[in-house]
Amino acid sequence: MNEFITALTEYTFLQNAIFACLLASIGCGVIGSYVVVKKISFLTGGIAHSVLAGMGMAYFYHASPIMGAIIAALTSSVLIGWINLRWKEHEDVLIAAFWSAGMAIGILFLSRTPGYNVDLMSYLFGNILLITRSNLLLMFLLDLVVLVVVFIYYKQFLVSVFDEEFARLRGINTEFFYILLLCLISITIVILIQLVGLIMVIALLTLPAAIANQYVTSLHKMFLLSALICAVISVAGVAMSFGPDLPTGSVIVLTACCAYFSSIVLKHVVSKR
Amino acid sequence: MSNVVIDIDNVSFNYGAVPVLEDVSLKIYEDEFIGIIGPNASGKSTLLKLILGLLAPTKGVISKYNHAGKKLSNYIGYVPQHSSFARDFPVTVGEVVMMGHVNSGSRLFRYKKGEIELAKQVMHKLEIDNIEKRQVGELSGGQLQRVLIARALVCEPEILILDEPTSNVDMRVEEDIFALLKNHSEHMTVIVVSHDIAFISGYVDRVACLNRTLVCHNTESISGKMIEELYDAPVKMIHHHH
Repeated sequence: MNEFITALTEYTFLQNAIFACLLASIGCGVIGSYVVVKKISFLTGGIAHSVLAGMGMAYFYHASPIMGAIIAALTSSVLIGWINLRWKEHEDVLIAAFWSAGMAIGILFLSRTPGYNVDLMSYLFGNILLITRSNLLLMFLLDLVVLVVVFIYYKQFLVSVFDEEFARLRGINTEFFYILLLCLISITIVILIQLVGLIMVIALLTLPAAIANQYVTSLHKMFLLSALICAVISVAGVAMSFGPDLPTGSVIVLTACCAYFSSIVLKHVVSKR
Repeated sequence: MSNVVIDIDNVSFNYGAVPVLEDVSLKIYEDEFIGIIGPNASGKSTLLKLILGLLAPTKGVISKYNHAGKKLSNYIGYVPQHSSFARDFPVTVGEVVMMGHVNSGSRLFRYKKGEIELAKQVMHKLEIDNIEKRQVGELSGGQLQRVLIARALVCEPEILILDEPTSNVDMRVEEDIFALLKNHSEHMTVIVVSHDIAFISGYVDRVACLNRTLVCHNTESISGKMIEELYDAPVKMIHHHH
């Protein structure tokens, strides 16, 4: 641990990593809470994996992969949302199709790109230690977008997520807010991909919020608590992986899983007393 | 009776090829307390959803009068059967009641002073002001029902619609809730759907019996024969005295 703290004062890449954790925690806390209370983690996983299509195409055309990711994430969330609203009974199959089609398209484009790029592995599995200043700036801007939209439409999101039928009776356009929420989720996925990679993004969008859900009575408190939990988990993950030189994304995800299981067991033991 | 507020004219509704309602005609008047009863799967909830505008009739028209130019959300309050949301949702009683103020124009976190004041009055009237800070998952069936009624009343409706409001509560709470509704029906139209024919008849002004078609709707009192016709089996009548 001391070794980590000394290294933290010395190396900019470690400082960047910690900033990245804190920035990711903001989006993770707010949007993760919606994912958990609306019970759409599978859908979120589908959007996350379909992002690979955009990244693969971006590599092929020598564009910025992160821009490719943003475009792919937004496109697939609007498509999934729109089809889902009209074809609700096939939701899980639909998600599975998007999930695998996205991966498949991504891999096709990559196979046609000369020289397999090492960077891609870091988007699949995350490599927080490679995060640059400009990555941090982008994360900050995406966080800002998420926060501003949630702040403005907090009430409509709350009512439509809690009781969609009632929201419709109040004249709220629930379909619009559903798709808007999916877009916010896809933006958050892009933020988180830099931390843990698209394969494991689902862990950070569900586990911290699920832990928080057991201790709060209001959605806005859930935002704060799950952001805090996410920050602690990801910073701890970076610190623990640094010494033995383990893949940071994996350590963060496993830390999140351990925290989640411990919180369930703890809750169970306490309620039994 | 005074003005007609809801005019259901020859309405039919199908789910795919399955007819749920056939040629239903019913006029609902201002400030009346009407019960819609019928066995399970008789189309009661569907009729409510048609009235609310959540579904569109396959045939026929539902007109709402004397509220020209006003949006639906401004004058119909709706209390659903409370299984429709997750009980572990992180939201307090106070927050659910405040949802009655949210519409498409709401912005940011804060509510106006007048909105908070109205919600407080309604919660006080329904005796739920002492549980304002509780999470909805901790409530009993009766408490939750009161919270949902409060949320509907906060919309300041002229028509209040309730779907099986007493399906998850015990007898004593059921009496409380109907007494409360009876009270409110003095200045608003109250429509209640129920399968509990004997109980409801003690409170409402009028009963409409539904079993795909409307079997009867002008009854002052319900006869045993009508119930047999409706439920397809003899039913023991219990008389309530209030």
